[in-house]
Formats: sequence, structure tokens, C-alpha cells
Amino acid sequence: MGTRDDEYDYLFKVVLIGDSGVGKSNLLSRFTRNEFNLESKSTIGVEFATRSIQVDGKTIKAQIWDTAGQERYRAITSAYYRGAVGALLVYDIAKHLTYENVERWLRELRDHADQNIVIMLVGNKSDLRHLRAVPTDEAKTFAERNSLSFIETSALDSTNVETAFQNILTEIYRIVSQKQIRDPPEGDLIRPQNVEPIDVKPTVNSDSVRKQCCQ
Amino acid sequence: MAAGALEPHVDEIIRTDLPRTFPDNIYFNHASASEDDDAYQQQLYRVLAAYAYHNPRVGYCQGLNYVAGLLLLVTHSEDTSFWLLKVLVENKLPDYYSPTMDGVITDMEVLSELVKEKMPDIHSHLNSVGLPWTVITTKWFMCLFAEVLPTETALRIWDCLFYEGSKILFRVGLSLIGRHKQDILRCDDFASVVQLFKDMTQDSFALHCHDFMQNVFRIPGTLKRSHIERLRSRISEEHRKAKEAKASESKTPL
Repeated sequence: MGTRDDEYDYLFKVVLIGDSGVGKSNLLSRFTRNEFNLESKSTIGVEFATRSIQVDGKTIKAQIWDTAGQERYRAITSAYYRGAVGALLVYDIAKHLTYENVERWLRELRDHADQNIVIMLVGNKSDLRHLRAVPTDEAKTFAERNSLSFIETSALDSTNVETAFQNILTEIYRIVSQKQIRDPPEGDLIRPQNVEPIDVKPTVNSDSVRKQCCQ
Repeated sequence: MAAGALEPHVDEIIRTDLPRTFPDNIYFNHASASEDDDAYQQQLYRVLAAYAYHNPRVGYCQGLNYVAGLLLLVTHSEDTSFWLLKVLVENKLPDYYSPTMDGVITDMEVLSELVKEKMPDIHSHLNSVGLPWTVITTKWFMCLFAEVLPTETALRIWDCLFYEGSKILFRVGLSLIGRHKQDILRCDDFASVVQLFKDMTQDSFALHCHDFMQNVFRIPGTLKRSHIERLRSRISEEHRKAKEAKASESKTPL
């Protein structure tokens, strides 16, 4: 929004993970299209959307992957963790089980994602005050103990959705831009390293190299 | 049926998916449904729960909600839907919906191989734009084109599926890709490819089911069952070896 889709300084790949029905798809649609759908459909497999934001005068394009929540789908979705620089690990504040499963999702990230991935714990559906099953403090403490950032959101009434994405993207930007000062990138990062069909492009690039991989 | 004996987490995920199955359809839509119509979600629950109980190895797999939902819309019968669902899951599409999803993972790769054989330029283009293949094809295979193609078209495909088996899924996939070959080659990043694949399932080619089915038997050319079987066994063997290698790797102490 606000910038042309094909012009950006940084491209960050972020994954949305968490149990089925916690509101991942609606967080994505709220952030990328400012839409919320009460009658949303189960996500089968993987969906994706993008949005660009500004941080420190730089345009950051977030490429956000939304994944099916059912455990067995991890056989397919875990391939998408590769190359992701951020993960929003979402639970439903009104369903305690979805919070209990956060540990399993963290293990999943440890097994399949890059070691330095930035993880944000997101308690969604904060509008359901009367049904709250996970106290904010409990989740906050858990997040601190596991060095995750933490926020509560409501995709329904928009609370904190913008902030959540803005925060994680800014955090990634700080890490990446500092790393670039220390360790400037070499050559063409975007060219796929192999031709395996489910491989994804490296995600941190300057805009100028985008067209090179096309025939 | 003995839904009380269903494992709580299976019951929970089925219930989560009920309002998220064909929410645009007047029979399934909670808000527009009359008391009587609301029974559709309940019927869907009973079919899925009964099947999960009947076949605990598969239990419930997301995607089956759309499959069973469409069966219910067509047959108006819980019993018939249950038995048709059983035939699909156990006979027509073995291991698609099992906990490892090996069958569907293999078949997505088989489709990729077939694209490579029949349309090598498309295959290399999709690779060069970095398209993760499963973004496009997971829903195709898991929902058997329900909730992907227009309903009437999906049902024509299902006729073939019941009658002749899963080969039709490859024919449909190859036809969609073959029909839109030029458009695909024009996309220079994978976001636009993903969008194109969404649009192509809703255009007039996909909508006119008679023409569509004729094209499905014409566009991909010859497609031998034995060839698909060979690809399947090669790919699943590769997967099995990769899994073994990974397992032994993780057993090795650091």
C-alpha cells in the first residue's frame, strides 16, 4: 500500500504458523488488504500475499506465507520455513490448547527454519474478552523466557495487527541492515541455487537484481 | 454414530472446519440458512466424525471437509456421502489424507514430472521464477478441485475420478497449465504466477464444463496409467530414501 509493488529495498519472507482456526488467514488479509472475513474458509496447503511498508525511509516488502494449521500438513508446509526471516506464531487467546501447542510449533521452527529467524508470539482474537482462556501475563512471561517478542491482536477489530507486522519487520530490518554493514552481501543472491520445484528464493535482496532470473 | 468415542482433538478440528466449509453456499452458510438448512453443517459433522471413527488411521484431514461437503450437496444423503468418501480416501486416493500425506506429496511431484516431460519450457520457467510448486497444487489434489474449479466442472471431474481413478487429476492439472502456457511464460515473478493460477480456475475455459472435459482428454495428449505408476514408485522410493537418510542423520550424535 502506498508504494508500487515492484519497487522495494528489502524483501522479507515471513511465515504465519499456529494451530488451525486461530485466525492466521484473517491476520494476513487484515494486514495486506484491510479485510476481515467472518465466514473464512479453511486454508488448504499454503497461501501467500505481500505488502510493502516503510521503515527508516526504506521500502520493505513483506512476502507473507499463510499455512494450513493441521499437524499433518507440516509435511508440506515446513518446506516454506526455509529462507523465512520472520515467523508469526499465532494462538487463540480464547482457546488454551492452541497456546499449549506453541511449544510444538517452536520445535517445528527449530527443526526446519533458519537458526536466526525472528519469532513473534501473537495472541489473536483479543476482542473475545469474555472468553479469554490465556492470561496476557502468562503468555508474556513465556515469550520472554523463550526470547520471543509478544503481542495480542484482533484481526476482527484491527487492534495491533498493523503494529505486529510493523514490529517484526522493523526488528528484521534492524538485524539485516546491521549485518549488511558488517558483512556486505556478495553478488546475486536471488538466483535459485537449484531447481528443486519447492525451493524458494532467498528473501533479502536489493531491488535491482529481480529481473535477472527471468528468461 | 459413535461420535462420543472420537478423540477430542479430532472432534475439535472437525468442528473448527464446519463453518469454514463452503461458507458462500446457501446450504452451508449459517447466517442465511433456515433451521432446516443449518442441518447441513450438522450432517457434515456426522459424516466426517463417523469416517474419522471408522478409519482412525486417517482420522480427519483438512480438505476432507470440502470433499464430504460437496458429496453431501450432491447426494443429499449422509449414508451415501460416507460410503463415497470411504471409496475416495481408501481406494481412489490411497495415502492422500493419511498422517504422512505421502500419497499426495508423491502425486504433486508426479504432476511436476509430467509437466517437465510434456511442457519443459513451462517447467523451467516456473523453476526460474522460484515458484514453490505445492502452493499451486496442494489444494488441487487435496480438494480434488472442489473449491478450486466451478462446482459443475469439479463434479464432472469427480465422475471420471470414481469411474476411472486418479489419473484424471493429472489430466486436469496438465490441461489447466497447457491451456494457459503463454500467460504463464509471460509472468516474470512468482506472485503473478500464483495469481494467474487462481484466475485460470475461474475463467470461461474452466466454467464450461462440457468443453472443459473434452479439452482435458485432448490437451495433455497420451497419458498412460503405467507411466504414472512408474513415476509414482520412483518418486515414493526417492522420498523413502530421503526420509531414511534424514532419520539416521538425526540419530548420529553431534
